[in-house]
Amino acid sequence: MNIMIGLINGMIAAATPILLAALGGTLTYYAGIFNIAMEGMMLSGAFFAVLGSYFFHSWIVGILFGVLGAILIALIFIFFSIFLKVDEFVTGVGLNLFAVGLTTYLLRQIFNVKGAFTDPGIVPIPKIQIPMIQNIPVLGKILSGQNLIVYIALIAVIFITWLVFKTRFGLRLRAAGYNSTCLDTSGVSSNLIRFHSLMLCGILCGFAGSFLSLGYVTLFTENMSAGRGWISLAAVILVSGNPLGIALVSLLFGFADGLGLFLQQSLPSQFTSMVPYVATLIALFIYSIRKKKKEALI
Amino acid sequence: MMTDVITMDHIVKVFPPNVVALDDVSVTFREGEIHAVVGENGAGKTTLMKILYGMQEANSGNIFFKGNQVRFNKPGEAISSGIGMVHQEILLIPEYTIWENVILGVEPTGYFGKIDRQKSRQKVKQQIDEFQFHLDPDARVEDISVAARQKVEILKLLYRNVSFLILDEPTSVLTPQEIPQLFDELRRMRDNGRTIVYISHHLEEVLELSDRITVLRKGSKIDTIESSGATKRSLSQMMVGREVIFESIRKQQKTGDVVFDMSGVDYSFPKNRPLLQSIQMQIRAGEIVGIAGVEGNGQLELVNIIMGLIKPDHGKIEIQGDDFTHASILERRKKISFVSQDRANMGSCLNASISENILMTHHRLNSRFSKWNGIVLEKAQINKFSEEVRNSFDIQMDSTDAEMRSLSGGNQQKTILGRELSLDTPFLLLDQPTRGLDVGSIEYVHEHILQMKDEGHAILLLSADLEELFRLSDRILVLHRGQIVANLETEHTSIEEVGILMLEGGAQ
Repeated sequence: MNIMIGLINGMIAAATPILLAALGGTLTYYAGIFNIAMEGMMLSGAFFAVLGSYFFHSWIVGILFGVLGAILIALIFIFFSIFLKVDEFVTGVGLNLFAVGLTTYLLRQIFNVKGAFTDPGIVPIPKIQIPMIQNIPVLGKILSGQNLIVYIALIAVIFITWLVFKTRFGLRLRAAGYNSTCLDTSGVSSNLIRFHSLMLCGILCGFAGSFLSLGYVTLFTENMSAGRGWISLAAVILVSGNPLGIALVSLLFGFADGLGLFLQQSLPSQFTSMVPYVATLIALFIYSIRKKKKEALI
Repeated sequence: MMTDVITMDHIVKVFPPNVVALDDVSVTFREGEIHAVVGENGAGKTTLMKILYGMQEANSGNIFFKGNQVRFNKPGEAISSGIGMVHQEILLIPEYTIWENVILGVEPTGYFGKIDRQKSRQKVKQQIDEFQFHLDPDARVEDISVAARQKVEILKLLYRNVSFLILDEPTSVLTPQEIPQLFDELRRMRDNGRTIVYISHHLEEVLELSDRITVLRKGSKIDTIESSGATKRSLSQMMVGREVIFESIRKQQKTGDVVFDMSGVDYSFPKNRPLLQSIQMQIRAGEIVGIAGVEGNGQLELVNIIMGLIKPDHGKIEIQGDDFTHASILERRKKISFVSQDRANMGSCLNASISENILMTHHRLNSRFSKWNGIVLEKAQINKFSEEVRNSFDIQMDSTDAEMRSLSGGNQQKTILGRELSLDTPFLLLDQPTRGLDVGSIEYVHEHILQMKDEGHAILLLSADLEELFRLSDRILVLHRGQIVANLETEHTSIEEVGILMLEGGAQ
């Protein structure tokens, strides 16, 4: 039983950063931006979260810094793709590489370490115990006692669903993606909508990054986002942006991640850490087959 | 007494480097009139309206709106002043419902920006009823007809309290049956006190609908006249500066051997949905066969099968007795000239130069344009050839090295026709060769097509314009739900008969 609970909690923890980044990605997806910079935003967020938490001895400042770090990348993306009209894919790839370089450089310059920075001075984001619920057998150990960011991610799913499908902003956001000229001629600047969507994506990726370095573990390692931004992109594409679908797919990836850790007892870790990426490939493969079938029906 | 709403005063627009699009044009639009702006392609109709609407800036001249000088910097400003424009290409979001499309940009909202669905739908419904548009506000735009989409565009402007509507060639996307309905709606709007500017080059429509007509020619205003005194002939004379013949210009002539022979062609996609069924046709040398049909009844598939872009399930295609059913596209091109209805994508490459566009296909079929087995192009030969095509097809351009994109629609089409007709193949496939062209260019294209017929080419002509089919074809085949339901001698049929067959199929 404890193994099951451990596996489920591992799954939730692994799913959270992917979920948050994918929710950000879904906003830009609806806005019609080919945004692959979630990876870079998340990594930058993770680094600055540690920076804030370490120097100000506060996880709140840590999250704040994490969000600002991710927004930094988002702003560069906005500058290049919206103002200078540079190709979004090129911008995204450039920024992802830039984020690795920037965080590695700053890690060495500020903390004078190579590879990883860990210190008792980094204040982690607390876990939240929910009274009453925590006493429920089995379920209590899953529903309660999760990291604060996990609950934020859950609220974000609901909030993003509401935002995209029920509000004025959502109507305009999707319009920007479906037909931006139409939105522009309706008197709403599609660039402004894209700007907002990228900023929101930055904030969500900031939370994802903070969770990585202040929740999942309490340290920063070089390139610690390790492809989660890319997986979140796959999740967005897989479910065509539907936030609830993203939540499910993220859990699936989280499960693959947890499974990888679990399998480490019997398999070399090089193979087990492949599991989430292999799962991504399989998911994309299934998606393409399903899409083909659907198209044949039309 | 009608008051002036908008006065455009001495408008000049020059496109760099030296193309004068509008040369000192002054027009006044009065309240509550339908005012048509007519002219050939490239005459400056759309440019004039885009300047009024704030999509382009004039080099000089002033615009007065209800007596005050205005200058809109973007369409949004024009709309909030009550001026709206329905563009040639429909700008809606197919994935959205009608009401969502209508409210986009001016959404009634409740708390925290939540859209008030109830109120939005109610308002849109009210407007639909007021103008008798017969639309379901909850229908998705992707599911409704083109005519209905156009109504949604108009509705969108009415929702924004626009009192001055500009429509850019609204009937170009409609079927003949849908046009009278649009006209009724436009008249109803006029009677409600709105002003309508109607850009068109269909003279019958303009005469039927409008109160006054402004004629532009090559960027200059010729005159503004009352429609009541005008005729088609006088208008076209003003438009092109000379008289255009509208009568049938076909000559009877002996036809030769069968050139193009298609038999038993079936095509389904997917498997259970037949798009073409047992298509049978023979076209002789010196014969023009027209295909009539409402769009989407198999024309696209027919063209793609002839060109080898899709493979038929059954059937056979022969050209001059040789089997072409499975021939490669290049093989086909040796025998088939092809004018695609998709001028910008399939017919030409807008980013390439004009001479490159003229050369396409020729460079694969004619060895004089290259040396070393087609590796190096012969620039001198190519230039000479482009100049020939340019002269014999009267293409207006600065230089053959300019981008295809820089040409007006009519000149692009002439370039494509020039390329295809100089291939000198026994069979010609012309898919909407005059769509979107003005009267002068259409006449020009028709002359060339008839000349090809005289020279003994076999021609298959697809056109949505029945008058064109009747003018040119010897026989008309009616395509309905993927079947040829009639094979009519043009002499012994009428537009009305073909129209009914197009809509209802055979005489079952």
